[in-house]
Amino acid sequence: MDPIYPWLDPIEVRRLADRLMKPNHEPAVSVTDAGFDDGFVGYASEPCASSPLPAPQPPPIREVAPTPYQAQPSPPPADFPSSARGPFLERIQRFRDWMRHHFSATGIFILDREGAVIFDESSHGRLHFLARSLALASRRPGATGGNVHVKIGAGATLEVIPVDTAYGCLVLGAVVPEALAPPAVGAVMEALAQVASPPAEN
Amino acid sequence: MISIAVSSQKGGVGKTTVSINLAHSFARAGVRTLLVDADPQGSVGLSLTRQSRLLAGFYDYLADPGIPLDRLIVPTRLETFSLVASGQASDYEAGGGGMGAHLARVRAFLRSVAARGFDLCLIDTAAGLFGVTGDVIASSDAIMIPQQAEPLGIRSVPKLLEGLNRLRVMNPRLSVLGVCLTMVQHDLAESTEAAAALRQLLPPEMVFQTQIPRDGLFVRASARGLPIGVLEDGAGAQVVFDSLRMEIEAKLEPTSGQHAVR
Repeated sequence: MDPIYPWLDPIEVRRLADRLMKPNHEPAVSVTDAGFDDGFVGYASEPCASSPLPAPQPPPIREVAPTPYQAQPSPPPADFPSSARGPFLERIQRFRDWMRHHFSATGIFILDREGAVIFDESSHGRLHFLARSLALASRRPGATGGNVHVKIGAGATLEVIPVDTAYGCLVLGAVVPEALAPPAVGAVMEALAQVASPPAEN
Repeated sequence: MISIAVSSQKGGVGKTTVSINLAHSFARAGVRTLLVDADPQGSVGLSLTRQSRLLAGFYDYLADPGIPLDRLIVPTRLETFSLVASGQASDYEAGGGGMGAHLARVRAFLRSVAARGFDLCLIDTAAGLFGVTGDVIASSDAIMIPQQAEPLGIRSVPKLLEGLNRLRVMNPRLSVLGVCLTMVQHDLAESTEAAAALRQLLPPEMVFQTQIPRDGLFVRASARGLPIGVLEDGAGAQVVFDSLRMEIEAKLEPTSGQHAVR
């Protein structure tokens, strides 16, 4: 018995092979769409674009969300255990657990300065582009970026927090029930900066 | 720079042997070559460096965005030939995950390699066309596929072609250099018949003319941690890999604007 031909369909094999050898002019599958999924119900109130640009001033306030948001009572920011070291991914996972525990985050993702995904357990991959755009838009020349939040569904808000770390600016996206109050944002920034700090040299 | 993934559907077909000796051939020809071990089993490192179990490598880069490429590059006695070992982090520690989980990091890695001035990045991947291997192929300029000359290997070809067609949707610029028959045994009818069957099945331009014979020299070379061309009696085998290199260079030339190795 022939050891090869009865096991495969030569015509189908040739078809697949010919297709591979032809130059492919199709555009690559792109993942940079608008970032909104079916759950997106719009901005919390006035969209950024309708607000006139503020005169350049030193922005001492972290919260630059364009919404007249009254901070809901958030759980009091708890100190992130700074002594906990270990592989980077483990530290990020501890940070995720901490976000989940203290701020009821249902998912987080972290992007690097180029928009590349460092960590994503949010199941909201389509929000990456939105988060990065918001983080860039919230930056002012000569100042660090502030946090921004948008309502993405009933009982779900995307909190976008740019954080300067030893590895450059990382953008945290967290899906939380309500926008975070400024003290909570400060605690999150500090915690992520700790997570992304290189281990101390001995 | 051009990046070439050395991948296969099946394991144990000679990917590492092809990768090491092909990379060495390019480097000997003056091409600044980086050989990357993207197989968590770390076969390149185990073959060429005694310290491979201590070296940070490709999977550490995927797992930790703080690691610069320079920390991973291991120089060799040949100035144009450098290595990146598999590393200490495993696929699991790097986050595991399905296709696309590491795409951005793999692409960042290749950008760093290009910026470092290499002409060629040859990537020895783990078997299969999924997970990190899928991300490597979806990020590379070209792929070559070692295929063992035996019936079972040839039967896996439809699955291989289906997988490559899927990956080409993610990476339309992926150039398929072709299938290279390995472990060919001229004294074994099943082996030569399998080789002939593959040549009949696939378009001629998809199968390299050069075949890699099964040879005890390969075992001796890996026992001594050397590319085969470095062995005192390895000149004959080196000719085989030089021939394979020249075929690849010829395949890349028509699109020299994007794919010139030099």
